[in-house]
Amino acid sequence: MRLVALVLKRLAWLAPTLAGLVAIVFFISRVIPADPVALVAGETASRAQIELLRQKLGLDQPLIVQLAQYYKQLLSGDLGTSLFTTRPVWEDLSARLPATIELTVAAMLVSVVLGIPLGVVSALYRNRFIDHLLRVVTVAGLAVASFWLALLLQLLFAMDLRWLPLQARITGFPPPATTGFYVIDALIEGNFTRLGNVLAHLTLPALTLAFPALATVVRFTRAGVLETLQRSFVTYQRAMGIPAGLIVWKYVLRNSLVSTVTQIGLLFGILLAGAVVIETVFQWPGIGSYAFEAILQSDYPGVMGFTLYAGVVFGVVNLIVDVSHAVLDPREAAA
Amino acid sequence: MDQRRKPILPGEINMDQSRRGLLSKISRRELMAYGGTAALAVSAGFDPLRAAGKTRFVFANESDYDTVDPHAAFDVGRVAVRLNIYDGLLRWEDNPAKLEPWVAESHTISPDGLTYTFKLRRGVKFHDGSEVKAQDVVYSLDRILAVGKGAASLFKTMIDPGAAKAVDDYTVTFTLTKPSAIFLAIVPEIHIVNTTLIKKNESGGDWGQAWLSKNSAGSGAYKLAQFDPAIGFVGERFPDHFKGWGPKFIDEIEFRGVKDTNTRVLGLLRGDFQGIGGYLQTDQLDRIKKSGNAQILEAESMRVMMAQFNVTRAPLNDVHVRRAINYAFDYDGFDNDILGGLVQRNPTPLPNTIWGVPKDVKGYSFDIAKAKAELAQASAKIDKPLELAFLTGFQQSEQAAQLLQNGLKKAGIESKVVGYPWPTIVEKFKDANTTPDVSIYWISTYYADPHNWVGEMFSSATAGTFKNASHYKNSKVDELLDKALRSTNQAERAKLYEEVTRIVVDDAAGLWIYNTKWYGPYAAKLKGIAFCPIGSAQEMRTAFYDNEG
Repeated sequence: MRLVALVLKRLAWLAPTLAGLVAIVFFISRVIPADPVALVAGETASRAQIELLRQKLGLDQPLIVQLAQYYKQLLSGDLGTSLFTTRPVWEDLSARLPATIELTVAAMLVSVVLGIPLGVVSALYRNRFIDHLLRVVTVAGLAVASFWLALLLQLLFAMDLRWLPLQARITGFPPPATTGFYVIDALIEGNFTRLGNVLAHLTLPALTLAFPALATVVRFTRAGVLETLQRSFVTYQRAMGIPAGLIVWKYVLRNSLVSTVTQIGLLFGILLAGAVVIETVFQWPGIGSYAFEAILQSDYPGVMGFTLYAGVVFGVVNLIVDVSHAVLDPREAAA
Repeated sequence: MDQRRKPILPGEINMDQSRRGLLSKISRRELMAYGGTAALAVSAGFDPLRAAGKTRFVFANESDYDTVDPHAAFDVGRVAVRLNIYDGLLRWEDNPAKLEPWVAESHTISPDGLTYTFKLRRGVKFHDGSEVKAQDVVYSLDRILAVGKGAASLFKTMIDPGAAKAVDDYTVTFTLTKPSAIFLAIVPEIHIVNTTLIKKNESGGDWGQAWLSKNSAGSGAYKLAQFDPAIGFVGERFPDHFKGWGPKFIDEIEFRGVKDTNTRVLGLLRGDFQGIGGYLQTDQLDRIKKSGNAQILEAESMRVMMAQFNVTRAPLNDVHVRRAINYAFDYDGFDNDILGGLVQRNPTPLPNTIWGVPKDVKGYSFDIAKAKAELAQASAKIDKPLELAFLTGFQQSEQAAQLLQNGLKKAGIESKVVGYPWPTIVEKFKDANTTPDVSIYWISTYYADPHNWVGEMFSSATAGTFKNASHYKNSKVDELLDKALRSTNQAERAKLYEEVTRIVVDDAAGLWIYNTKWYGPYAAKLKGIAFCPIGSAQEMRTAFYDNEG
């Protein structure tokens, strides 16, 4: 019951948070001295032609009126129409969302599934060779620029060894999608050749994106486990003769994960930001490249749409983090 | 001989190896090859087109195809849609560019230069099998003007909505609001759309914009088979195209947006792409040349790199300061050392390869002594650093700004280098007060006529636009340009543009650096690529593989 109340409380905060986010980004995007109308009108457009188009698009209205209009649109489920593609922003975003979600989830899976055990191992073998090695790798993970790592992986696995594809989500132009998540689509259709192809394409971008996140997960897990190992209940359990494996993987790990789970929530932000670079290098047709283009062209509706998406993702991820905290440490739900 | 170093001959059994496990018998290189074969088998998947013996061409473009509406764009980045999926009355072909009859078989111009009459070919078919008629041409122009994007702003300077009339099914007339010699040059931008099809898909009087942004209604050599704004588009060969086909052709073309230059180059070398766009650095061109599986086609293009001066305020309102800046730029150092000789020095605002260039004008050269001498004659004081603006994300633009800064310093002029993204600098150009002192970028070929450069760059009517960021106003120049626009005699026009060019070069109204040389990286087996400065060799109708497969 307390958990449900927590979820409802967090959800109630999400709406005003998003409304505030929209207002901030709305004003920031319009303060930038750029004129998307001039771009849409074309390089040869005269001043009068540009102003006419501005009126047509409603961008000559006072900012506060434009913002009110935008809120009104949002309430009716309309994200507006892109100035450049002339399609509804939701249509543009939904065409790209599955690609980004698939990539982000794959990267998150890699970093969590590998990062937590490696963090535990690193803590258990503190100051021994394996710990030093993992610490070097994790420092590198945080320090290495993702575009550089992407390039190295491309050169090694796609160009020299030719084991993996260089770019794109699938070989050739994609077939009509059922869900837009190619892994799921291939599974639904039972097409394992395509599944292999999709996974092969997913490997390098997911690894590149996962690397810094993996480093963070390893470091926080290591620190958490080291701290928990010092606590008296561990000494007590050892004295009781409980097997070491059980102590570490059940009791110590659960008590160590609170800060790691918080970090995993924050990592979604890193992954979203990283996705812009990774999607560009690997020609991954996701929302990152769309956001990049929208920002560059000052496509206001496009920028706002992406911001809302990022806000919703953060909100939902934070909600999951809060729920996870409550599950890992029931005292939090009670607080 | 040391037994450990004894070479193993083919077929000979190495007893040492035979005692080890199976994996140990395989060398690391072999292991990689086996792993690669297995991985490739998975990653390549099944290609039905190859299985059907059909040919395919994939082009990696530097910008995205966010729309396939031919009337929504007037840029080189998305030209592949317009040239392959659609046809116009005329088309720019070859290099130097020539205006060729296309869907129109002939045209006439009235003596007053106001009425243009085009006779259409019979039997030209849209992709749905219906015939292209004069009414479609009328609708297409009206649509361009109503939608107000792409080339609309250019058309609006000379023609009003409703000024196109279908005299009969195969005759169309355009009546201009004033004589304009460049009308013919931009007629290829009237991409003819299938009126019936678009009207069927209109929504709320939008001229079919939402629908046509992701569907096609053309008659071009390829018909749209697939489009994904996040990826690009696929075109299938249209066998009934009115131009017909040679014995060899490409069955399917795919144009993808691939923003990362390195990915484009690696993709070409790997065979993912058979052609790539973008202006590449010398080292990348060398890498492609050396690869053996790709070729670099070369042609002199029409894209002039220049520095536009804001001539409205001190100190650049003083011709001596402008000349000093012209003498302070190391043209040879930039063209030959920094760009490795991949470009051609272009001393005037007109590209070297177009008519109307005064051959006697040599332009300025790098000479710090002359720069100082000009500064000594200047009445304007340079009391604050000049702002040298470059385009963010365009390395050459930044390099040129830095080189100019270096030259100016030697001449005794302080300056600061500032980068602006494209939308920001366009906004700044609109007002002379916010326009940077010097802005470095390119003017490409929107239509192959001198007016595309000197006409739009120095006419007072265009002050504050991207092309006239100098806000240059000169009544003598205006008069000459107006005459040139009113005349339909090319020889007469050429003389007028030569005169304008002499005036603006003497007036140092800008600084002109180079004319771009086009380098087209393509798969080695690809033939029949025809370069035209307007289309950047992206019209695929004539392309084919020398050795299919």
